[in-house]
Amino acid sequence: MRGASEAVALDSDRALAEQVLAGDEPAFRQLYRRHTPRLFLVVLRLVAGIEEDAEDVVQETWLKAVGRLEGFRWEAAFGSWLTAIGINVARETLRRRGRRREVDLPEDHESLRTSGPAPLAALDPVDLERAIRALPEGYRTVLLLHDVEGYRHEEIAERLGVTAGTSKSQLFHARRALRAALGDERKDQVHV
Amino acid sequence: MFDDPRDELSPAEQEAFDALPREQQPPPSLEQRTVALLRAHGHLATPITAAPSRHRWGGMHWSAPWIAGAAAAALAVFASGVAVGQYVGTRNAALVIDANARGSAAELAGHVQRAGSLYVAALASLSQLPDSGSHVARDSARIVALRVLGEAAQEIALLAPDDPLAVAVLRGLNQRSRDQVPTVPSRSVVWY
Repeated sequence: MRGASEAVALDSDRALAEQVLAGDEPAFRQLYRRHTPRLFLVVLRLVAGIEEDAEDVVQETWLKAVGRLEGFRWEAAFGSWLTAIGINVARETLRRRGRRREVDLPEDHESLRTSGPAPLAALDPVDLERAIRALPEGYRTVLLLHDVEGYRHEEIAERLGVTAGTSKSQLFHARRALRAALGDERKDQVHV
Repeated sequence: MFDDPRDELSPAEQEAFDALPREQQPPPSLEQRTVALLRAHGHLATPITAAPSRHRWGGMHWSAPWIAGAAAAALAVFASGVAVGQYVGTRNAALVIDANARGSAAELAGHVQRAGSLYVAALASLSQLPDSGSHVARDSARIVALRVLGEAAQEIALLAPDDPLAVAVLRGLNQRSRDQVPTVPSRSVVWY
């Protein structure tokens, strides 16, 4: 069930969106200021922290969103719908720019399972952010959507056009890679 | 195998992910660039009035009354230009018509070719003007061009009554004039 505050925000988004459809620039600016900070950070993480790419993605996302606004049925929150468009645009951008690195499953999953580093007791958000950005794109996308944005595997699968099993396996490897990276970083810090 | 609870996030890891920021302010210039992009795609109205406050560009003060006066002066200059152009055009056209009346079939065909090339070249130049060009001038040129097109199609139909393209153009223009609700008082356009 949707909370009262969310319903008010939704109504307000809808009212602004209707004005935007009539070409109203102040209404667009209001909608932009309300939703862009979240959109910007999501896509910034997806494009590995490259601000220039994130800005391009945000622009293209708004262009697509406003172009499709008339067909939006308001069954989901505007912010979620906008983020979904942003995720697709970010992936298209990565693909276009050739930064996408397909990550194949290692042949021996069990070796990873038994030899991987143990979960870390305490994580610094800056280190965590840096380690996420350094992950290969396939790992990073699934980890961000699942562990940071809170999507379920079925939703990720639908969003990325993969199976839920692929999403689970990517997350498995992403977490292990992340733990390994953060473990190494911690070791480096100890040695310094 | 990827549902193994050992691969789940530890409470500390979960806490670290939850502690990550959810929003980040993009650069302030991104809003303006996004608005400009939406304007360029016709989603937002392009502002046509000057801001009420006084601006200082290039060492000069630009107030709203000053801009209105400048716009009126520009329109007056434009209208004078149109009048002179029409007078000259009418004279030149009259000379061409006179030459046409006395020319051979080959000469007349040559006139048609030259006049047609000029017509297309002028329209091409007009369409390449920046968007900031006068809308009044563009509208006038469009009306003139369509009337020329209609008259030319009529003459082609007389020359070759079975020409399907000429008939189609005439039908389209007739349909358009039937459908169109006049929004401005009819004006006399001298096109040659």
